[in-house]
Amino acid sequence: MLVSAVTLGCALLLGQVEEPEASAEAPVEQAPEPPAEPEPWDFQMAVPTAASPRFPYDGVQIRCLALPPTPAVPSGQWRARCDDAKKECLVSPAQVLDSQGHETDQPLPRADWCVSRVMTPETTRQYRLVPAIAEAPPGWYRDERGRVLQYNFDLHRRVYVGGAWAPRWLRETDRLDERARVDFGVELEWPEKPDRLHRMTLLDTELYLGDAPSYDATLLRYDFRSQNNAPLFRVTTFYGRPRRFDVYANLGFWMEVLHGEQVRREDVHADFLNVAATHVTLDLWHSEDLVSYVRVRAGPSLERDRTNGFYTLVPAAVLEGDFTLDRDGFHHVRFGAEAQKVLLAESVEGRPLRPERLRLRAGYEFILLAINDQPVSVTLDGRGTWRDDVANAPAGWEWSAQAGLRFSLWAPARRSAPVSAPGKG
Amino acid sequence: MVALALALLLGTVPGLSCTGRTEAGERFPTCFDPGTGWVLGTQLRVQDDAEALALRTGFLVRSARSSGSKADSLWFDSHRLLMTEAWGGERKGLTFTAYDGLLRRHVEEGSLLVTIGRPRRIPFPFDVALAARAAHLERRVWEGPGWTLETGRVGLLLDPLRTNTEGAWLAVGPAASHALRHAPDGTQNEVSPFTSLLLDAGWETRDGRWALRATGLAGWSFDFDGGSHFRARGEVALEHVVLAVNDAPVLVRLTATGIKNDAGLFRRDEGMLGAGLAVRPFGER
Repeated sequence: MLVSAVTLGCALLLGQVEEPEASAEAPVEQAPEPPAEPEPWDFQMAVPTAASPRFPYDGVQIRCLALPPTPAVPSGQWRARCDDAKKECLVSPAQVLDSQGHETDQPLPRADWCVSRVMTPETTRQYRLVPAIAEAPPGWYRDERGRVLQYNFDLHRRVYVGGAWAPRWLRETDRLDERARVDFGVELEWPEKPDRLHRMTLLDTELYLGDAPSYDATLLRYDFRSQNNAPLFRVTTFYGRPRRFDVYANLGFWMEVLHGEQVRREDVHADFLNVAATHVTLDLWHSEDLVSYVRVRAGPSLERDRTNGFYTLVPAAVLEGDFTLDRDGFHHVRFGAEAQKVLLAESVEGRPLRPERLRLRAGYEFILLAINDQPVSVTLDGRGTWRDDVANAPAGWEWSAQAGLRFSLWAPARRSAPVSAPGKG
Repeated sequence: MVALALALLLGTVPGLSCTGRTEAGERFPTCFDPGTGWVLGTQLRVQDDAEALALRTGFLVRSARSSGSKADSLWFDSHRLLMTEAWGGERKGLTFTAYDGLLRRHVEEGSLLVTIGRPRRIPFPFDVALAARAAHLERRVWEGPGWTLETGRVGLLLDPLRTNTEGAWLAVGPAASHALRHAPDGTQNEVSPFTSLLLDAGWETRDGRWALRATGLAGWSFDFDGGSHFRARGEVALEHVVLAVNDAPVLVRLTATGIKNDAGLFRRDEGMLGAGLAVRPFGER
């Protein structure tokens, strides 16, 4: 045991003394030089101008970029949308610039998040950097300072409140009522599929103040229309070569719940509450996105004559249209003609047993300006009503011309809003 | 012959295209069967200078089949079910027929077998047909309470045309019938024991867009309590398909009817003209 230990110790000692010999036989290596410090990057990225290109809004990843500080962007924080194949990046400041063109501490609103640590400084140097204006969502516009503003509005999705001057002229008595109108309501619209569109109005209210104060309010109105690609009728003719003509019918549904109306004619008045109305609609024409249309609708409604205390059945037929005239939703034209017949009414002195109503209306609404991206629109209306359902009031026409302003909340960009900047669509 | 029979059975017309094509390549029928479908129509009737609007509905079923027991024999069967016609105006009325059918048997070579002595086969230039009608009700409101009900009628007819298509026939022969005339003062039984002559004739174009049909009945009927009556009636109807909606033919129908001693409870003489429109869903060939 002792002998073995001595032998192992000698072997270890001999092994240690052999290594310097081997080292002496190897060529002498130069001590490695410390890595070269990169030259300072004195690149000065320019901020975009109004003429600069814009980031496309196409979902491509936006990269966070750290560049040498500049007087305009001292933080050196930029956003880049890069084309790796071309080795080129569109670059915009990561923060909004002030009026002097200097960086503020406000991040770019309505811009996508940028991804960090994708572009190292070494990689960045290999790319050509182009000053650009950051992307903006559809219906929005971003200026060279990075601020966004909405230029496309959907007035079928809004909460509105407005007022109008609304005089009324009663033809039979040649009386002019000086009135003002206050209106408010909520409008909703949503597509179900590409070929169906739902629209709902809540609390659609018009209050008339001044001479002959009255109201017209509806709790809920809902309708849907659709584009049917299968023909409803196929008509075959046999004179000459047999030919088939396909007749398409785009049917829909319309309903109204709790529509209250107060009518005043001089010193008499009548209150009606339409409990529920259901109509079938037939689109004579509609736009590709189903937003604009001309249609007829017809159906019955159950109405409560609150003045005389009985229920009536009121069938109605309507021709109406609603047009959004421009791409950005600034101009809207609406018209309608509705005929109603009051059936199953009890006998009321001073009015016919089956009264009738005819309502005509045409209106134009256009967006005048937007305050904090909330549109303010001008409303122009012309309305005419013939009715003989008010007891002891002469049957005849009443006409009203109305002009006012309407402030709309919400009003997001239309679903069809383009991604390009205004004027380039 | 077999090919023809198969073609008839399959409802196709040899040499005639019964299918059109749209520009998109979709197919649509251009031939119709005047004896098949659900008839729903309206008609303006003029009777004794009185005009009335009538509604007409019913079901038509027609088939062609090979005889199961006889060689070289085809049956052309035409059935009319629940045919109802009601009219308003000053002379409101209604007719209803539960069943009316013509069963025609066509043979390639008609013959009679004479069994007296050595059996001999004699050429017989007629097809045979059976006409049957059940529960034909006639109610005339303007005549007061009462109705006329023909409980049943059967005719054994011969067809000299002997066509081997379902689009042309001329069947004539004796008919037997029983009818009830119910009036406030009682119900009268009336029978015609093959003492009437029945006519059922029709012609249709191959595409079925024109159809002409004539029916007639003339002869004597006898009351159970004695007495006989000669009566006659005839009707001609011309139909023309003007267009088709959803492949259902829409047709114009012109009719002329003459009745002698047989109209209503009081066996009146009448003449009537009618013109109307009808649609016949499921009426494509």
